Amino acid sequence: MSVAVRGGGRLRVASESRREMLVPSGVLGMSIFVFTEIMVFAGLISGFSIIRSGAMIWPPPDQPRLPFEETAVNTAALLLSGVLLFVARRTYQKDRTRAATPLLISILLGAFFVVFQGFEWVTLLGQGLTLTSSSLGSFFYLIIGMHALHAVVALGVLTNAWLHLRGGWLASSRLAVAEVFWYFVVGIWPILYMTVYF
Amino acid sequence: MQLHDTAKLAVLLVCGVLFAPELAQACAVCGAGQQEDTRLAFILTTAFLTFLPLSMMGGAVWWLRRRVRRFESSQLEMRPVDAAPLSRASSSR
Repeated sequence: MSVAVRGGGRLRVASESRREMLVPSGVLGMSIFVFTEIMVFAGLISGFSIIRSGAMIWPPPDQPRLPFEETAVNTAALLLSGVLLFVARRTYQKDRTRAATPLLISILLGAFFVVFQGFEWVTLLGQGLTLTSSSLGSFFYLIIGMHALHAVVALGVLTNAWLHLRGGWLASSRLAVAEVFWYFVVGIWPILYMTVYF
Repeated sequence: MQLHDTAKLAVLLVCGVLFAPELAQACAVCGAGQQEDTRLAFILTTAFLTFLPLSMMGGAVWWLRRRVRRFESSQLEMRPVDAAPLSRASSSR
């Protein structure tokens, strides 16, 4: 229902559906959550930068080097996943039935990123980089682990959206919620990669 | 008498702050910022953590404002023809 009324010298449009059309509740909630998570990562990055600047030699000489070349491939996969999610959104707006494929590829690339990170962690643990071995290890597992946790949860949200899409009842707002979360995971990764791995 | 003691305590405190700042190790910045690099990192991260939430809030307000404007303009376009005088009245102001 939409009613036009005059008030305060300006035209105001009173509408029952105004709130949901402006920003869906799910998107607003996820955006607030993402804002808080950005601050969490900002705090972690700040702490890491201060510890790093205070160290005489960085990375600590008795610790393994972080595999930034291999992780570059992983980073590319994650970024491509973000691009495919964008493609999925565009396709969804034109033809919903065709959006499932790019969304699925996006999820698979995200899953590849998480699994690859897991292999990387196993290798690093085998080389002696643990949570307590050095400040590098502490911050590495804390920051990258925090990101991996977000990536896993976001993949769950994306998979849920994909299942709804396959079932034919995916609402645009539900896809938008998944998008906000995944774009956060994708967008913050290059910053973490450049900060921690180099 | 009590005021006199308080004044003495205040003078003592000011002297302590002025002449023995190296003893103020209570905060992480005072204790850790011995090197120039660390001090710079503290300054940069403080600025980063101060301006990041402000810029995010500013961005959110800007985005919401843009959405409201877009919504209002789309509502005006969707208005039925019989309500045209109201639309004209609004645009003239």
